[in-house]
Amino acid sequence: MIHNLAEKVVLFFSWVTTLVLGLSVSIFLGYLLWKGFPSLGPKLIFGQADPLMAVLGRVRVFDGIFPAIAGTICLVGLSAGLALPVGVCSGIYLAEYAGPGMKKLLGILFDILAGIPSIVIGLFGFSLAVFLHRHFSSRVGPCLLISAVSLAVLVLPYIVRSTQRSLEELPAGIRKTALALGASKLQNIAYVLIPNALSGISSGVILAIGRCAEDTAVILLTGVVATAGIPSSLLSQYEALPFYIYYISNQYSSRAELSQGYGACLILLVICAVLFMLAYGMTKHLSYRTLYRA
Amino acid sequence: MMETKDKIIVKGVSFFYGRNQVLNNIHAKFAEHTITAITGPSGQGKSTLLGLFNCMWDEIPGARGSGEIRIRLGDEWVSPLKKDIPLPLLRRKVALIFQEPNPLPMSIARNMAFPLMLAGVRDKSIVAAKVQKALSQAFLWEEVKDRLEESALDLSGGQKQRLCIARALVLEPEVLLCDEPTSSLDARAAGIIEDLLVRLRSQCTLLVVSHYMDQVRRVADEVMTLQDQNLRRI
Repeated sequence: MIHNLAEKVVLFFSWVTTLVLGLSVSIFLGYLLWKGFPSLGPKLIFGQADPLMAVLGRVRVFDGIFPAIAGTICLVGLSAGLALPVGVCSGIYLAEYAGPGMKKLLGILFDILAGIPSIVIGLFGFSLAVFLHRHFSSRVGPCLLISAVSLAVLVLPYIVRSTQRSLEELPAGIRKTALALGASKLQNIAYVLIPNALSGISSGVILAIGRCAEDTAVILLTGVVATAGIPSSLLSQYEALPFYIYYISNQYSSRAELSQGYGACLILLVICAVLFMLAYGMTKHLSYRTLYRA
Repeated sequence: MMETKDKIIVKGVSFFYGRNQVLNNIHAKFAEHTITAITGPSGQGKSTLLGLFNCMWDEIPGARGSGEIRIRLGDEWVSPLKKDIPLPLLRRKVALIFQEPNPLPMSIARNMAFPLMLAGVRDKSIVAAKVQKALSQAFLWEEVKDRLEESALDLSGGQKQRLCIARALVLEPEVLLCDEPTSSLDARAAGIIEDLLVRLRSQCTLLVVSHYMDQVRRVADEVMTLQDQNLRRI
């Protein structure tokens, strides 16, 4: 009787929390759509500039969010491009090569890194910029590259841990199959273990991409500005959607401007969704190409 | 002087997982082109014994062996315990068939070509010929020749195990280690595997771990039992 009652309470609680979560997300998205949808359109993105000319880089956009969109995409691409190889290789090392002592030590270090507040990592990036400016070249300062490096450091633990866990959770049988057929350790990792762990690795990658796209604290200190145009080089300052949303919501002077901020939120969500689908599609395609093409 | 017809010689071999001793001072000889069945109660170390011949214990922390194992591959004697041969090379010539069929989540063709790819064989015509030969040896070619691009996971249990045997045969091993190869199969499928193992005697030396005494009687030339960390002929 008691077990039955406890099960019913747990089931009821589960339904309530799922409903609350679902409703919260729906209300949040609905509110964003309601507030931001009226502002969506070419004017929000390109302002007074011709869209084609703006995309081709022939005219600069001053009153639209196109430079911020371009900056965000460049930033996410660069930081993911820096974090992915390092993170996946570190995860492989921890899962397949590290001894127990090294695994424990590196595990603690990565856990500490995961717990560092993003503003502290932003400060690290700013300090790096100052150091390079003083000792390397006066041309170097807070810029796209410094922001990307800082964001890569921020998201590294997600990729490392997801890679490590995905590999360690593979069944023992699948580990031995290729080895028994004469595979070297590296061949086993490349041809069997990684393809089978891709779905777990991709979840870490998707998390990392999302974090790179939305984090504001890091980029505040490492190169983002309100007006910079499309990023012209790795060492240039840049605009980004999270920063645009931040300063427009702090300094809007009309309802129309605030609506533009909500519109920018919607566009940021769409960009994240597209990047997630790209990451998911790439890992599925990689898995197919590696495993199913004879 | 070693008799030329011996394929595997085991002298004074003991094996430990950490502080847990599994095998104690094992002595045995396995003749070429014979099937030796290894029986005994569960948990006595039969799979561990098989794993000694192709060093499958290499990745297990704390695993260590002592003594001498000599395997004649071609005209050369190698010592797996001393690792005087690169392990990938050893495992291509001393193949292991697992208890549970373990095809990789790939097409049948890709499963069969996989060991050749690992060994650096890229010529498609050579790969195709070796794949067909191995599948024929495993009594599987006629059943799968028109569906080589389909997933190996869609095969029946018996077909999967024959695919795993064929996949091991594609590298033309000299020793075939079979760890309870029919225990997960029904009687009909098991019978096909038994016939296959007997046929393979002409090209390999086989060591077969089995719990089924009737199977052992049907298939084996020699029978050994592993009990209380010791191996003895019966």
